[in-house]
Amino acid sequence: MNVFSGLAALAKGMAVTFKEMLSPTIVENYPDGPGPLRGAMFQERYRGVHVLQRDENGLEKCVACFLCAAACPSNCIYIEAADNTAEHRISGAERYAQVYNIDYNRCIFCGYCVEACPTDAITHGHGFEVATLNASSLVYRKEQMLAPRPALQGQNAVFSISGEEQLKAEREHGGVGRWIE
Amino acid sequence: MADVNITVDGRKLTAPAGTLLIEACKSVGIEVPSFCYYPGLSLQGACRMCLVEIAKMPKLQTACTTVIQEGMAVTTASDTVHQARKAMLEFVLQNHPLDCPVCDAGGECELQDMTFSYGASESKLIDFKNHKDEEQWSPVVFFDRPRCILCYRCVRVCGEGMDVWALGIQNRGALSLIAPNQDDHLECEECGMCIDICPVGALTSGAYRYKTRPWEMNHVSTVCLHCADGCKTTLGVRRQGSGNQIVRGDNRDKSGINGDFLCIKGRYAFDFIEHPDRLKQPLVRKNGTLTPASWEEALELVALRFREARDTDGGASMGVIGSSRTTNEENYLLQKFARLVLRTNNIDHHRTADFPAFVNALSGRAHATASMRDVLSAPAVLLIGNDPTYQHPLLAWQIRTNVRLHGARLYVVNSWPIKLTRQAKEFLQIPEGAEDKAAAFLAGDDSAADALLTSKTTREKLAGFREKLQGEQNLVVIFGSELRGQELAALVRAAARGAKYICLGDHANSRGAADMGLYPDLLPGYLPLSEAARFGEPWKSVPQQPGMDLEAMVAAGKERKLRTLYVVGSNPVARYAIDPFALAETFVVVEDLFLTETADLAEVVLPAACAYEKSGSFTNTCGDLQLLRKAGDCEGVKPDLEIIVRIAELMGFDIQQLAPLDPSGMRADFGESRGVQSGEVDQQAIWNRRQGYEPRVSPFNPFAVLKEIQRVVPGYNVGQLELLSGNDVHTATAGRAPGKTEADRFILPSHENLFTSGTLGRYSDVLNRVIEARLRLPNEKEKEIAAD
Repeated sequence: MNVFSGLAALAKGMAVTFKEMLSPTIVENYPDGPGPLRGAMFQERYRGVHVLQRDENGLEKCVACFLCAAACPSNCIYIEAADNTAEHRISGAERYAQVYNIDYNRCIFCGYCVEACPTDAITHGHGFEVATLNASSLVYRKEQMLAPRPALQGQNAVFSISGEEQLKAEREHGGVGRWIE
Repeated sequence: MADVNITVDGRKLTAPAGTLLIEACKSVGIEVPSFCYYPGLSLQGACRMCLVEIAKMPKLQTACTTVIQEGMAVTTASDTVHQARKAMLEFVLQNHPLDCPVCDAGGECELQDMTFSYGASESKLIDFKNHKDEEQWSPVVFFDRPRCILCYRCVRVCGEGMDVWALGIQNRGALSLIAPNQDDHLECEECGMCIDICPVGALTSGAYRYKTRPWEMNHVSTVCLHCADGCKTTLGVRRQGSGNQIVRGDNRDKSGINGDFLCIKGRYAFDFIEHPDRLKQPLVRKNGTLTPASWEEALELVALRFREARDTDGGASMGVIGSSRTTNEENYLLQKFARLVLRTNNIDHHRTADFPAFVNALSGRAHATASMRDVLSAPAVLLIGNDPTYQHPLLAWQIRTNVRLHGARLYVVNSWPIKLTRQAKEFLQIPEGAEDKAAAFLAGDDSAADALLTSKTTREKLAGFREKLQGEQNLVVIFGSELRGQELAALVRAAARGAKYICLGDHANSRGAADMGLYPDLLPGYLPLSEAARFGEPWKSVPQQPGMDLEAMVAAGKERKLRTLYVVGSNPVARYAIDPFALAETFVVVEDLFLTETADLAEVVLPAACAYEKSGSFTNTCGDLQLLRKAGDCEGVKPDLEIIVRIAELMGFDIQQLAPLDPSGMRADFGESRGVQSGEVDQQAIWNRRQGYEPRVSPFNPFAVLKEIQRVVPGYNVGQLELLSGNDVHTATAGRAPGKTEADRFILPSHENLFTSGTLGRYSDVLNRVIEARLRLPNEKEKEIAAD
């Protein structure tokens, strides 16, 4: 009896093995896949390198409230706040982050900062190839994390340019966005 | 007063009759929330947050305006009360913007806390809030109208507390708003009390604005380094770059001698620390110009020249000038350095009051000096000369508060109707410069009356004034540098019956510098040179003849007899208008924060740490001893204590005889924590001790020096535990200062006002901005002129 039950268990186990052997491979072809991500695929919820978002006017959403720094368990966020003025307006509220650094040596990608943010300014992007040979380059500055400005910012895309002009402009600027300053 | 029994939430409690219900509840640990109630200010009943249920009263009552009555039964935690609190909060939040993330008060906002505790975080209102732009009322005061909850605390503290009345209320009812005294800006003392007392972020500080958030800072309690009143300030520090940066000054825990009070200098004038002109590297004169050098090079040069001068021409050819802004420990060590290492008594400092004569007059009388706290509780105060509102803001606050809350009687003798006469019961206007005569008259010398007569002061008035004063028990007598020598002594001897005295110096540690013996003829504790031996074995070699004072040093310089001059944290060239060429042949060494007029003449300039960057102790002008704790860091500078010890060591002196070592090693750490200067306990030392290892000791340990001071300086033997827990301890004047009867002619009052503070004030951006803004005011009457 022992022999039969043993064989049955073996067959059951091997059945799974053979079934998986014949089904199509679902391993992603990273890093040899196509596209800028080279085959990597992400769930929407994936917590990668942070992105600092902009609002619909292209202004930074971050108001330098320091809540992300307070929430951060690994103490990796460093902020210096400054005053917005009429001539030099960076964010929608009264102040903005003059300096916003995240130290990726320390960041554990827990997402607490994203949860703490009252203005939805900091989000997790899908950036993931962060490894480097130089630890000091792991301190990301605001400029490295900031979402690009929307194309044609400062012009009224709806009323002042036709669809064709817009397409042309987008083509000229690579279609995604550009730095204006 | 008889005690009254009441019942609160079913439990009986007892409190003195006349206690407010809110205070009675607080005393037993029941929190009744409120915005407008503030201890020490008049009652307002504006915010309605403190509503409680009282049995037999039909409606809810405000606990902050209800005086307890026998048998009162109070409920503070019923559903009705909770409902009322929640409704009041909802009402307050109606137009309060929810911009906590950008508001400076976020994190220490009373409205935030209350909303968190009592609910109403969701508004029923769907209308847009009525937004008004932020207004700037002065260089340091910003007002955000929608955030204001109309508790009127700022109005009351400015009016009642500061007697400035610069804030008021416009309109009535729902349209009420807080407004400044001049259309769109404030004309006031810029003390920032309104900002401090604001429960929300309606009034915010221009100096701290948006710099950081409360939870990002560490808070270090230390003592203000500006005037001689010794307010406790809490500095908010934030780690930045290579060390801690001071970002805010306030009096967060209100536990110091200053209670709620802090003036503009204590609150904002720490920014000289980061002035770009701050010296951060030693300078050595090469080919006629001061050029940056290393610490080793500079110190070795100083030590070499000092040793040469001492060994060839003797100590008599060397001068030392101390500071009234360095700590007691540094002053003590500096005079010890002069007397033991340089073997000279040529040591002096910028004198701003006749402390030796004061001590001499008081000798043999115990408890004859008043502490700053005594001024708040004394039944009567006599003020001769000086203008505390501008020169001693805390003292003025204490007097005002005492008059307002305890009905103290204030007597003012002055040549000018100073602002405090508004609180005075009697004011005696005397001719300018006749303060000494007034003192003589009050001491019983009728012949002095002739010199006091003015159009407003008659003989009868003088006599009546003196008679009233003689009837006062437990009088506190306060006088400034106008009284010196014999007049001072006569006054002190005349008033008896529990009278206490305060002699007003001008700088943060003027009293400490005098106590620590920065005099050519007095040792620490005002002891005569003949008693040097009581300080220990090495002191027996101290020369017995008095040294040169500042004037004599300059004269010796002119005659080319002064070989070296060591100036620590002082600017005698500008202060005393010394002829710069007098020191042309002298090897001048200056330790300072900035390149002052004196430093400009020096051969070697050593960059020193300011009092916010080191630990030690300060004695305020009343004799209250308090500990300083290191708050900020500045790269490249060293505390004066360390510099003195290093020079002594390089001169070949056995530093164990100079700098006492503390064998407990508890605070002698060598960099494991924030350094011995931070005043923090050395964790490594505790571990070492537990393992049975030998403790490491540092020769730069201010606490070891303090221990020695407590041991040898008369009057300083006070409880260390009190000091370490951040409290002020009153020192006794136990010295004798023999022969100090003639007036000290070297006293030079600094004439600072609210917005100046010597060299430090010159480099403070906030103070300069405030002075400029005041000069621009069209109806500015008193012109603020920045003294050096």
